[in-house]
Amino acid sequence: MAMKIGGRSFDKRAEQGVRDSYMRETVRTAQERLYTNKSQAEEELGDWEEWRSLSEKIRSHTVDNLDYYLERLSENVSKNGGHVYFAQTAAEANRYIQSIAERKEAKKVMKAKSMVTEEISMNEALEATGVEVIESDLGEYILQIDDHDPPSHIVAPALHKNKEQIKDTFSRRKGYQKTSKPEELTQFVRKKLRREFLEADIGITGCNFAVAESGSVALVTNEGNARLVTTIPKTHIAVMGMERVVPTWEELDILVSMLCRSAVGQKLTSYVTGLTGPKAQEDVDGPEEFHLVIVDNGRSNILGTPFQSALHCIRCAACINVCPVYRHIGGHAYGSIYPGPIGAVLSPLLEGYEDHQDLPYASSLCAACTDACPVKIPLHELLVEHRKVIAQEKKTTLGETFAMKGFGLVASSPRLFEMAAKTAPALLAPFTNKETIEKGPGPLKEWTAIRDFPGPKKERFRDWVKERNKGGAE
Amino acid sequence: MSSGNVQNQTTFLNHVADRLGRERRTTVNPPSYFSFPHQKMGKEADISELAKVLKKQCLAIHTDVREATINNLREVIDQVFVEYEAITAAVWDDPRFHQFGLDSIVERPQVSVWGEEPGREANIQAAEQADVGITFSDYTLAESGTVVIMNGAGKGLSVSLLPTNYIAIIPLSTLVPRMTQATAAIHEQAEKGRRLPACINFISGPSNSADIELDLVVGVHGPVRACYILVDDLKKEKKNEHETN
Amino acid sequence: MKVSLFITCLTDIFYPDVGKNVVELLERHGCEVDFPEKQTCCGQPAFNSGYHKDAKKAAKHMIETFEHAEKVVTPSGSCAAMFKEYPSLLKDEIRWRERAEQLAGKTYELTQFLYRVLHVTNTGATLQGVATYHTSCHMVRLLGETEAPYVLLSNVQGLELKELPNKQNCCGFGGTFAVKMSTISEQMVDEKVEHIEETEADVLIGADNGCLMNIGGRIQKEKKPIKVMHIAEVLNHREMGGGDV
Ligand code: SF4
Repeated sequence: MAMKIGGRSFDKRAEQGVRDSYMRETVRTAQERLYTNKSQAEEELGDWEEWRSLSEKIRSHTVDNLDYYLERLSENVSKNGGHVYFAQTAAEANRYIQSIAERKEAKKVMKAKSMVTEEISMNEALEATGVEVIESDLGEYILQIDDHDPPSHIVAPALHKNKEQIKDTFSRRKGYQKTSKPEELTQFVRKKLRREFLEADIGITGCNFAVAESGSVALVTNEGNARLVTTIPKTHIAVMGMERVVPTWEELDILVSMLCRSAVGQKLTSYVTGLTGPKAQEDVDGPEEFHLVIVDNGRSNILGTPFQSALHCIRCAACINVCPVYRHIGGHAYGSIYPGPIGAVLSPLLEGYEDHQDLPYASSLCAACTDACPVKIPLHELLVEHRKVIAQEKKTTLGETFAMKGFGLVASSPRLFEMAAKTAPALLAPFTNKETIEKGPGPLKEWTAIRDFPGPKKERFRDWVKERNKGGAE
Repeated sequence: MSSGNVQNQTTFLNHVADRLGRERRTTVNPPSYFSFPHQKMGKEADISELAKVLKKQCLAIHTDVREATINNLREVIDQVFVEYEAITAAVWDDPRFHQFGLDSIVERPQVSVWGEEPGREANIQAAEQADVGITFSDYTLAESGTVVIMNGAGKGLSVSLLPTNYIAIIPLSTLVPRMTQATAAIHEQAEKGRRLPACINFISGPSNSADIELDLVVGVHGPVRACYILVDDLKKEKKNEHETN
Repeated sequence: MKVSLFITCLTDIFYPDVGKNVVELLERHGCEVDFPEKQTCCGQPAFNSGYHKDAKKAAKHMIETFEHAEKVVTPSGSCAAMFKEYPSLLKDEIRWRERAEQLAGKTYELTQFLYRVLHVTNTGATLQGVATYHTSCHMVRLLGETEAPYVLLSNVQGLELKELPNKQNCCGFGGTFAVKMSTISEQMVDEKVEHIEETEADVLIGADNGCLMNIGGRIQKEKKPIKVMHIAEVLNHREMGGGDV
């Protein structure tokens, strides 16, 4: 499956992440910097909470009326002369895109960064028909020439790599001879790709937002590659997840403002491009043919469930940038192209629990993600919701189920609670050393491998209260 | 313009409505938003305050700023050419070049005017080889340091994109507080059922990337340097008013 | 004022001294403290693990236990937040939901109660030393309380408070997370301890015994010379020479 990356279990991947000290250092610095930038950008907006509430409202209104807005969008694209293809599955989307490439006799496709094309494995599908697909986003390009290393972050896909590693890849694969200075590496890519742009037959982009009222696609970028992809090739295909629609340009304003600030702490990225393709008769450049591919690929299953708000996501990665779990294990450990809190919510929804059952547990529920989300998705609550589903479907271990049943029983019965609390000291006594447990039994083992555990005290608080009430005074 | 194809729409949208637990909706009441924080921003600011905000923001986005009057605009542009070691240029076919007294620049042999060459490739080629691309700004957003350009016909997309450097001429009259005012104007066009320009660009400085170790590198696929030239086109109007009074 | 104390199961069993300090502190500020003996646990372990049926049992029991209370005070931001979660947990059982809402409305975390209800800013405590304060995630993000502990701590005589770097980061407790994802939890608690050490404080203060059990357990295991105190112990602390006001 396409979203899934890496083999092995979550535990193994997480451990590997924890041991990758270089990756962790980069991620830590990145998170710190992004956190500072975002906080500053929030402050500049005035009342950030007011902006968040407005954004949430826009997203929930749109998703609640998704059929209506998608209809308007497709009608308007068509009115402008563009083509729209609604794809229920990844395979349908790929088949349609392949058919365009075939009709155009395309040899070379230039791509801008897009998560949804990763999700549906579009590159592989095109390459299978003999079309060369070149990633033009710097980060994606680095990954592509490094044997398709998977992305580890949805905004900065090559975040896990350092410049030395990048330099080595460039010299190994592309005969690069200069230093590891980011400026020089970037200049090299600029020169290399310029030629490719001029020769490309088709440009493919994702879609940050599609504006229903005008049939436009908005792309939010910094490098300028998405502009090249939509300026030079004669055919432009935009691929969008079906939830990425906004009613009008007025809502676009709000969401783009929030996206740029939350993703990179910029007021606006260098390029926000509103494309209402195809080009007009009198235009000289720009695509002569425009296709919008609207992809479901599992999203509709989320509608009408307690998880619906996950579809409000604008893919800013703010939740990833504050997540302590992500900081320590990195993006690859999640085993999905969507990492971090939103990935832990989304991956099981789009691809099922089988491959992603551990993800909802990879959170201390500290709610930093929920707090950071510009459209107020209650991410940590959705993680609990996943746990609920998993528990209900009895996918957890029997031990846990019994333990929790027992818990419910004990916590709702003062008598049992009393018994449990009273027996605890006795049970733990053999492990207790001066009121501390250094090596505990059962589930305590995991705890005490890392930390000491307090031994239960001889007198509980409630015993003290009883005594005190009896005696009347201290 | 003939309309494009739409495929699989009905099944797809019926399914969406179904999942939402209701019939397809053919009308939707526009959402009622309770607050408009974006409309409040910069509302009180006058042009000179907006210009100040813009200039400050340009520092943050690695963009050079020059100021000019209509009388010395040509010289200021030439100075930027010298500074950027630029000789060739690509410019829009835009009446404003004439209105702002720039005919002598446009007519230079090293300057190619968009659409002048026959055919798509030749124009792209010319822009690709130019040292500088020059366009006017249609709306200028103070908050984010953004030049909004409505491309189309003589206003080619490539001019602000392919040359090594980019110069945006910003008449002060185009200054607005933020994106809100530009999108409101675009929204108005759309509401009237007008076809929007095939490409509307919001450009904030030179192209850049932070994909390598989150280090900001300026100049990736688009221009390596960007310069905004603020031209005071309001003074003249004022003078005229004065004279007629 | 009459307050009913929800001591939390952790404090009851493992940290009775903290409980005693809570009682003394409340009494000193004119409260009559009632301890409903039937109280058990707020149900968070089951809730967070997705066993909502079992969590509901605990919730209903606690709602009944505290039904008579005027105000409920608890020395844990996390458990207070769990009480506030009851209405949504019981949203499908209207009668229970209403009762849950009443409980949620009258529940306060200890410092919140002192500061916001009793309007206390100075508890008259003295403690000589350099300390840093760990803000627990649930107190800050779920209860939205960012001020009360700081105000109260800032008025403890003799106490020098150092800001904890990256204080917004979770300590890695997360209930069952600490054992279920122990590899990751270990990294998180280590990072927290590192930041605590950076402050060179000799006392770590927190308002949640869950976090303190985690961080304190790690500090103890690593034999670091840092003392761990619940905020109730600090706010109720007296030293010779420090006067009662
Ligand atoms: S869930 Fe929220 S914070 Fe995370 S990527 Fe989506 S919009 Fe951004």
